[in-house]
Amino acid sequence: MREKLIYALAAVAALLLTRNLYQMFIGLPDEVLQGAIYRIIFFHVPAAFTFMTGALVSMLASILYLARKDFSADSVAAAVTEVALVFGFVNLLTGMIWARIIWGVWWAWDARLTFMLISCLMYAGYLMLRRSIEEPTQRARMSAVLSILTFPAVVITYKAIDWWRNQHPGPVLTFRTGGGTMDPGMEQVLWLNFLGILLFATVLMMVRMRQEEIRREIDGLRREAHAI
Amino acid sequence: MKFLRQSATIAWKDLRSEIRSKETLNASMSFAIVILLLFSFAFQSDSEVIEQISGGLLWLVFAFAGALVVNRSFSRDLQNDCLDALLASPVSGSAIFLGKAVANFAILLVIEFASLLIFGVFYNVDWTRQLGALMMTILLATWGMSVVGTMFSAMTVNLRLRELMLPMLVYPILIPCLLAAIELSAKLVAGTPLAGDMYLWVRVLVGFNIIYTALSLALVDTVLVG
Amino acid sequence: MDSRNFTYMFYGFATAWVVVIAYVVTLVARERKLIEEMKRLRHMIDSGESRT
Repeated sequence: MREKLIYALAAVAALLLTRNLYQMFIGLPDEVLQGAIYRIIFFHVPAAFTFMTGALVSMLASILYLARKDFSADSVAAAVTEVALVFGFVNLLTGMIWARIIWGVWWAWDARLTFMLISCLMYAGYLMLRRSIEEPTQRARMSAVLSILTFPAVVITYKAIDWWRNQHPGPVLTFRTGGGTMDPGMEQVLWLNFLGILLFATVLMMVRMRQEEIRREIDGLRREAHAI
Repeated sequence: MKFLRQSATIAWKDLRSEIRSKETLNASMSFAIVILLLFSFAFQSDSEVIEQISGGLLWLVFAFAGALVVNRSFSRDLQNDCLDALLASPVSGSAIFLGKAVANFAILLVIEFASLLIFGVFYNVDWTRQLGALMMTILLATWGMSVVGTMFSAMTVNLRLRELMLPMLVYPILIPCLLAAIELSAKLVAGTPLAGDMYLWVRVLVGFNIIYTALSLALVDTVLVG
Repeated sequence: MDSRNFTYMFYGFATAWVVVIAYVVTLVARERKLIEEMKRLRHMIDSGESRT
């Protein structure tokens, strides 16, 4: 059942992402000021949103774990953090390539960029903490606490373009500016691509969660083997 | 009330054992001096340049010394299973945490003021021109460092790679706090009065302290007791 | 239009997908290793139980 759901979701995501690619190149013209390079936004922003959604889910799952001590919540947190981190890096890398053309530099120590990098580093630290603790309940507890402590950095990253105005472009999406800052056709493609990437991330997360379950089963088998 | 009295007892216990042994104080103090010395070779002691980099320089020193201080905070009690005894006593985990955070705060402040004096002498900078605002910055940022540091000290105390994991987890999470402290201190050491944009950084510090003090107090019982 | 502009756009898209695909590859590799490990353990336990 879950296997089938994974394949179905992956197929939908693939179809949607391909359709969006077509729309990006054939349906939409170059942007007036930036030319072709602006199309990076269709991956850059959805990747960031996927990262933030993942961070939020990770925090909620961590709270759920601490409240219920349910290991499946811990699996969700572990899986979703790892997948979110991948999209965090996609966001950083695509942003750097865009910046190379528009700003002329790969990196600027702007508040948005800095906090995004910090958030990614912290979630990388989360994954390392998970690896360094052997005992399952202790691992789940400590990483849940770390995930909760890390989330404020993601909130700061999200709000950074409102609080500090420097290199990174300010908000352009309608739900933050009230409209008029981005062509509706472009914004629609952006949201559809977010949906596609989010679906794809969900597929990856489900695969990763299954691994976490296999790993727990292996732990159980090991104990059994020891008993024999 | 009882909670605060218990925390005060823990803080006093930690401070007293630190005053007797001076192991953390000596180690981190000499470490701070060494870093200050090394930096003085790295930069030309042109006073204008020094004033510009003073914020970063000071807070790097404080952060390095701070990691040494908080690293010992819980592991000090590992000997003879003192930590288990503490947790078994009728004191809540958050009271132990608060006490330890206060003790670390006090130790860090001592190190910071000593470093500031040395900084003034070595680099020939008069850092007292905006003394009140600078003290406020130091108090706020040091509290943030102590709370987060103590929290992670509690989280990593039973880890094999404690010495490695602690700084790796603490420094990124401290960056908002350190960044604000660096920006403020650089301006204040140079004698610029607190105004305009600088209040944004004060707000960052206050917000950071409130969020992380609350989160740590809420979560520390799960970390220590489970 | 500036051709560099287009080249870098291509680089951007390529990087995004390369990162994701690299992750998928590690994910699949890890899955295979885990399943092998599980089979090995199962086998070990089965043969151990039949002996006793």
